Amino acid sequence: MGRYVVRRLLQMIPVFIGATLLIFLMVNVMGDPIAGLCGERACDPATTAQLEKEFGLDKPLWQQYLTYMGNVFTGDFGTAFNGQQVTELMATAFPVTIRLTIVAVLFEIVIGVTLGVVTGMRRGRPVDTSVLLATLVVISVPTFVTGLLLQLLLGVQWKWIKPSVSPDAALGELIVPGLVLASVSLAYVTRLTRTSIAENKRSDYVRTAVAKGLPRHRVVTRHLLRNSLIPVITFIGTDIGALMGGAIVTERIFNIHGVGYQLYQGILRHNTQTVVGFVTVLVLVFLVANLLVDLLYAVLDPRIRYA
Amino acid sequence: MLLEVRDLHVEFRTRDGVAHAVNGVSYEVDAGQTLAVLGESGSGKSVTAQAVMGILDTPPGRITGGRILFQGQDLLTIREEERRRIRGAGMAMIFQDALSALNPVLSVGDQLGEMFVVHRGMSKRDARARAVELMDRVRIPAAAQRVRDYPHQFSGGMRQRIMIAMALALEPALVIADEPTTALDVTVQAQVMDLLAELRREYRMGLILITHDLGVVADVADRIAVMYAGKIVESAPVHDIYKAPAHPYTRGLLDSIPRLDQKGRELYAIKGLPPNLTHIPPGCSFHPRCPMARDVCRTDVPPLYEAGEARGSACHFWRECLHDH
Repeated sequence: MGRYVVRRLLQMIPVFIGATLLIFLMVNVMGDPIAGLCGERACDPATTAQLEKEFGLDKPLWQQYLTYMGNVFTGDFGTAFNGQQVTELMATAFPVTIRLTIVAVLFEIVIGVTLGVVTGMRRGRPVDTSVLLATLVVISVPTFVTGLLLQLLLGVQWKWIKPSVSPDAALGELIVPGLVLASVSLAYVTRLTRTSIAENKRSDYVRTAVAKGLPRHRVVTRHLLRNSLIPVITFIGTDIGALMGGAIVTERIFNIHGVGYQLYQGILRHNTQTVVGFVTVLVLVFLVANLLVDLLYAVLDPRIRYA
Repeated sequence: MLLEVRDLHVEFRTRDGVAHAVNGVSYEVDAGQTLAVLGESGSGKSVTAQAVMGILDTPPGRITGGRILFQGQDLLTIREEERRRIRGAGMAMIFQDALSALNPVLSVGDQLGEMFVVHRGMSKRDARARAVELMDRVRIPAAAQRVRDYPHQFSGGMRQRIMIAMALALEPALVIADEPTTALDVTVQAQVMDLLAELRREYRMGLILITHDLGVVADVADRIAVMYAGKIVESAPVHDIYKAPAHPYTRGLLDSIPRLDQKGRELYAIKGLPPNLTHIPPGCSFHPRCPMARDVCRTDVPPLYEAGEARGSACHFWRECLHDH
C-alpha cells in the first residue's frame, strides 16, 4: 500500500509539469498580457516595453516558463492584474470554493444517494419513473439556466434568499448555489446509485442476507448499500475536482468570489499568473482527489489490493 | 412433523406468459431426517425450497396455493416479522455457489457473527468469538486468524464450509441445502458432504438436500422425492428407489449414471428436453419424453399412486415400471 501511494505521488510530477506547461502555452496564445493593463486604450510603446521588461515578457517563452516554475517552487505564484499576490487571491478564493464544493457534494450524497436507493428498490414504479424523468430534465438543462431561474424565483420574486452572495460567503448563503452547482452531478449520482442498487438487489449475497433472517433495513444498509456505493463513491470523488474548477458559471451567477470568479477575471484581463496559478492548484486537487478515491476503493472493496 | 409442504403452487409472471414452476408439491421432513429432492434444472426443486425459506423473488414469483407448515405453524399466514425470526434461527439454507452467496466486502467473521448479533442480541465481540468456534467446528484451519479474512481469500471448499457454518450457527431445526457441492471440485465434494452429514446427525436437524446428482444422495438421504415440471413424480425411501424405480423418469435418471460395469457402452440419456414451464404438456407432463407413454398419458394427469409402503409414483403404469426392472 505504502509503495503504491509513493508510486502514485511520483506519477503526479510529470502530470503536474505537463499540465502547467500546457496551460502556460495556452494562456500565451490568448493574447497580449500587457494590453489589458491599460484599460480601454492601447498602452503607449514606451510603457509597453517597460512593462514587458518588468514582467520578463521580452524573454523567450521557455525561459519565462522556467522562471515561473522556479518561482512556484518557492511559493511565489506571481502577481494578479490588480497588483495583489496570486497566493493572496488563492487564500481568499479557495476557502470560498471549497465551502461551495462541500455543500454541493453533501447534496450529491444526501439527495442523490437517497433518491437512487429509493428508485433502485422500486424500479418501474411511479416514484422511479418520475425521479428518472426529473434527472433527465436536470441533466439536459444547462446549469446557467437552472442557476438564473432559481436566482430569479427564490432571490428576486419570493425573496427567500439573497440573490447575490456576500464576500464572506457563509455556508448558509451557499445552499442554493451549492444545489445549482451539484444539480447535474446529483442527477448522475441518482442514476448511478439506482442502477447499482437494482442490479445488486438480485445478487446471491443479498438473498443470503434475507435467508439469514436479517431485518430489512440491515439487509439494505449493511449488505446491499455497501456494495452498491462503490461505483458511486468513485464518481463523487472524481467529481470533487470537476466541481471546484467547474464552479465558474455558478460563481458568476451568484457573484461568489471563489476560484471560478478569479479564473474568469484572470482570463478576461489576460493575466497569465492568475490563470496558470489557479489551474495548477486545480490540477493538483484533481490528482489528489483521484488518488484518495483509489485508496478508498481498496477500503470499500477488500478484493482490491494495491502493491 | 418438522416440515410439511402441502399442495404448493408457485408461478412466475414472465414476458412469455405465466411459468408454472411448482404445481402441487407436497413433501414432509421429520426431525433428524434427510429428504433428497432430485430433479433437472427447472423442475421446481429450488423454487419450492425458496418458498419454504420465504426468499422467493416476489414479483415475479407468486405463491398461488398450498400450505407450508413448520413445526405446526403455517408460514404462509404469519406476519413477515415472525417469518424473519424463523429464518436463520429455525430454518437455514446453504446455497450452491458460496463465492457469490457470501458478501464480498464483509469479512467471514462479520458474516458469521451477524447471526448472533441479530438473532441473539450478542455483542460484536462475543459474536466474533462464536464465529471462530463455528469455523473450528467446520474444520477451517487457523480459524482465529482467518476470521478476519474475506470470502475471496478462501478456497472453494473452505468457502462452502463457511456457508455451512453460517447455516448451522443457531442450530436450526431444519436446513435446506441447495446443491451444496455442485460448485466444488470432485475431490472436495465428498469432504463437504461428509461434514454436512456429520453435523446433521450431531444436531439432529432435518435436512432437505436439493440435488441433481443421484450419486450424492445414496449415502446420506433417508427419502428421495423426484421432481419433474413442478411436480413430485416419485417419492420413496432411498433404498427402494435404487432397487427398483417406480417411475420411468426416475429410471431414466438412474440409467444415465455412468457405471463401471458398463464401461465402453454408450451412456443412456433421457431423450428430449425438460418442458417449457409456460406450456406444460397436458396429461402426464413427462409423456413426450417417456419410452412407456401410451394414449392415456396424453390426456389424463396421473395422481400420486401408492406404489408400496411409504412410496408414491405419479405414473399410470407404475406397476409395469416396477416389475420391468
